[in-house]
Amino acid sequence: MSSSNSPCAACKFLRRKCTQECVFAPYFPPDQPQKFANVHKAFGASNVAKLLNELNAAQHEDAVNSLAYEAEARLRDPVYGCVGLIFILQHRLKQVQTDLYNAKKELATYIGPQAMLPILQPPG
Amino acid sequence: MTLKGGTSQACAACKYQRRKCSSECPLSLYFPPEQPKMFQNAHKLFGVSNILKILKNLQPCQKAEAMRSIIYQANIRDKFPVYGCWGIICQLQYQILQAEEELHAVHAQLEMSRQHQHQISSLSDDMVASQLELGMAPPSTNALSLFNHTPQPYNAVDALPVTQQQHSYWNCNRAAYNSGYMDTKDNVGNPFWVQHSYANNDNNSNNSLAIQSELVSSQPLAIQHEVVHDYDEIHPFFDTIDDRQSYIDSKEPYESSSEESLKDTTQSVEHVAENELKSAAACFSLTSVN
Repeated sequence: MSSSNSPCAACKFLRRKCTQECVFAPYFPPDQPQKFANVHKAFGASNVAKLLNELNAAQHEDAVNSLAYEAEARLRDPVYGCVGLIFILQHRLKQVQTDLYNAKKELATYIGPQAMLPILQPPG
Repeated sequence: MTLKGGTSQACAACKYQRRKCSSECPLSLYFPPEQPKMFQNAHKLFGVSNILKILKNLQPCQKAEAMRSIIYQANIRDKFPVYGCWGIICQLQYQILQAEEELHAVHAQLEMSRQHQHQISSLSDDMVASQLELGMAPPSTNALSLFNHTPQPYNAVDALPVTQQQHSYWNCNRAAYNSGYMDTKDNVGNPFWVQHSYANNDNNSNNSLAIQSELVSSQPLAIQHEVVHDYDEIHPFFDTIDDRQSYIDSKEPYESSSEESLKDTTQSVEHVAENELKSAAACFSLTSVN
C-alpha cells in the first residue's frame, strides 16, 4: 500500500490489491491517477515494471518521472511525441550558436581575437 | 523465418515474435530483418501492441514519421535508461540558455565597443576642426595617436555583470521533477557534473533550463551546418553522458497536473511553425543501430 489504506494509482487502475511489495506504489501516488494512466497507455505497466527492474532503486523515481513525461508527450502528439521537441531545440541551439559566432567575430574587429573566448564563466 | 517458396525474409518484429511475416505485416516496413536491435528497443519500451495502437489512429502519411520517432525514442531510452529523451531535452534547453546568455553578453560588449569607437571618432574630428579654426596645422600623427589608443584587452568578466546562475536540471517543463543525474549505485561522479548546485530558475521566458555547462560543446564556436538530424543520430554531446552517474540530490515529486508539466514546453513548441518541425524531421531516415 502506498499509504496506510489507499492503494496506489497503478493498483487502482489495474484493479488489483496493492501490496507492500508493489513496485509502482512509491511513484504513482493515489492522488495522481493520470500519471499512471498515461504511462500505462503509452508503454504498458509490464514494460515499465521491467524497465524499473533493470535499474537501481535510487534511479526508479527519475526513470518513472521521465517515462511519465514522455508518455504524456506521446499521447498529446502521437506522431512525434517528445522527439519533436528535441529536434526543435537542436535547431534552436544551432541558430543561437551561429548568432554567437557571428557576434564574436564582429567583436573581434574591436577588441581583437580574445573576443572569441568564452565570456561567461561556467557555474561552480 | 523464410516464407515458403519465397526469398523474402521475415521482418525483425516477426522474427522476434517467431511468427510468420505476411505481406500485410504492418511493422515490416519499419523493422528490417538486418536490424534486430532496433525492434528490440522499441519492443522493450512500447511493446508491439502499443506501437500498433499508435499507428492505427494515424493517417498513412503520418505513419512513417511516427515510427521514426518511436524508434528514436526507444533507442535513446536504451542508451539512457534512466532519463531517456527527457534528459536530452533538459540538456538542450540548458545549452540554449547558456548560449543565449553569452550572446547577450557579447552584444553588450559590442555595443560598448561601438560607442567607444564613436566617441574616439568624434573627439578626433573635434580636434581637427578646432585646430583648423585657429589656423594651425592639422595635428600630427603623434598628437592624434593620443586619441587612437589601442584598446586594452577587454576583460569582459570585469566589465560585465557575470551572472552565476543556479539552475535546476529539471525545470525544463516547469514540472516538479527536480532531480539530476544522480547515480547512487555506482557513486561515480562524472567530473563534468558533480560540482554544481542548482536551484530553480524562474526568470526564463524561453522556458530554458540549466544543465551542466561543461556539457556544452568543448568547441563552443563550432557551428554545425546540418540543420536537421537523422532520427538515429544521437547528438555527440550526449556521448559524454552516463545516465547512471551521481549528480544532484534534490528531487521533487511529479505532479500530475502534468498539464502544467508539459504546458510550457508545448507552448514553446506551439510557437514554432509547424513547417519548422516538418523541415527538422525531413531528413530523418531509418538507419542501422547495430
